Amino acid sequence: MTPEQWSIVFNALNVGFLQTLRLFFVTLIGAIPLGLLIMLARRSSFRPLSWLTQGLTWIIRGSPLMIQLLILYYGPGLAFDWHPWGGGEAGRFSAAATAFIINYAFYFAEIYRGGIASIPAGQEEAGLVLGMTRTQIFFKVKLLQMVKAILPPMSNEVITLVKDTSLSRIIALQEIIWAGQKFLKGSSGISASILPLLCTVVYYLIFNGLLTILLTRLEKQLSYFR
Amino acid sequence: MILEVSGIRKSFGKAEILRGIDFGMDRGEVLSIIGSSGSGKTTLLRCLNFLETPDAGRIAVNGETLFDAASPTRDSAKVLRRKRLHFGLVFQNFNLFPQYTAFENVTLANLLLAKDTDAYRQNKAAVIGGIEEEAHRLLKQMGLSDRENNYPHQLSGGQCQRVAIARALALKPDILCFDEPTSALDPELTGEVLKVIRELADQRMTMIIVTHEMAFARDVSSHVIFMDNGIICEQGTPDQVFGHPQEERTRQFLQSFIQ
Repeated sequence: MTPEQWSIVFNALNVGFLQTLRLFFVTLIGAIPLGLLIMLARRSSFRPLSWLTQGLTWIIRGSPLMIQLLILYYGPGLAFDWHPWGGGEAGRFSAAATAFIINYAFYFAEIYRGGIASIPAGQEEAGLVLGMTRTQIFFKVKLLQMVKAILPPMSNEVITLVKDTSLSRIIALQEIIWAGQKFLKGSSGISASILPLLCTVVYYLIFNGLLTILLTRLEKQLSYFR
Repeated sequence: MILEVSGIRKSFGKAEILRGIDFGMDRGEVLSIIGSSGSGKTTLLRCLNFLETPDAGRIAVNGETLFDAASPTRDSAKVLRRKRLHFGLVFQNFNLFPQYTAFENVTLANLLLAKDTDAYRQNKAAVIGGIEEEAHRLLKQMGLSDRENNYPHQLSGGQCQRVAIARALALKPDILCFDEPTSALDPELTGEVLKVIRELADQRMTMIIVTHEMAFARDVSSHVIFMDNGIICEQGTPDQVFGHPQEERTRQFLQSFIQ
């Protein structure tokens, strides 16, 4: 390929990767707090709510994210002639982000639940006999211990999310794989080539490398206590 | 009397752990509670500290009824917290807050409590200064002045337990309770914790100590309770209970420690 053709390829990949990043960050911003709500619902003493959450967790975690994307994007229109997502790339992005946020929130909720369960009951009791309120105990005593406990499994999920965003290719979201894939058959005057698709791997590797450095640093920050 | 406990009962499911406990204490007394595992000692301490709610009975401190199962009150969280503060509790497993230094463990609760007071709003620096000064003093008393800025995982078990004692004392409880304070410690670390408790006894701190350290209980206590199967089987001065036990069950129990 000529330098001009490479420049076309990288422009396309950059645009695609921007969409990948957008989906990644929107999912995190949505799923981190939503996971907290789901975890609270799961731990609720109101049994039906807890059961409902457990059932949903089973469905969301037990079925492929790809099928969830397809159902969410095409389902309303085909079943009820209802088109909540609107057309074009913006509509596809809304559908993909919604599916990703829901899916990852249920995973995060389970991780949070494990984090809370890992804190010994003695921490709460110590706070209570010292006259602290339950809110104070949560924010001043338990929260940081919980964050420390969930950081390794959360790091895993975050790295997985970067790669999972490529599943949105199935509803034709124009993320980086979509951008690389169109060169397989030749496009924009460039003959068929696997190289652009291979380049997408480098994008993933660099971004995940940076994320790993960031997350490791965060873990180190919390290693001052055990 | 500083503490009056009468008719305390507590069941978990079908298991009746406490089956009517009555005792009283005067200010400055040291009460040791001995008995085998499962006799209800720890549950009794947890009832006094409002970690468990008794099914029946009454608890009064300085003549003020804090709990009465016969006339249940729906205490607000705030009232319950104030009642709790009559008692301090030192746990078997310390339960220090791992993300705070020894010093911060001692000051944390007081700093949070102070925030609600007028004194804090008027002169924040003075209140914080007072709390910190008290924490320095308590940690010095515990022999931990050089450990103030260490985190719990950097301390030995004996040091952790002494921080926990300082943390409980910082809230100036009327009665300080110990739940098997040396059971999680190596034998060589037990001595340093017992020494600190003995010093508190010499300073006339009112204390209830659940312990398996018989020699220590005999030496430090003004009164001893032997619990068995959810009731007080025998009580009296250390000399009475250890020296001349009247009940067969007490003799059996003490015998098992001699062997």
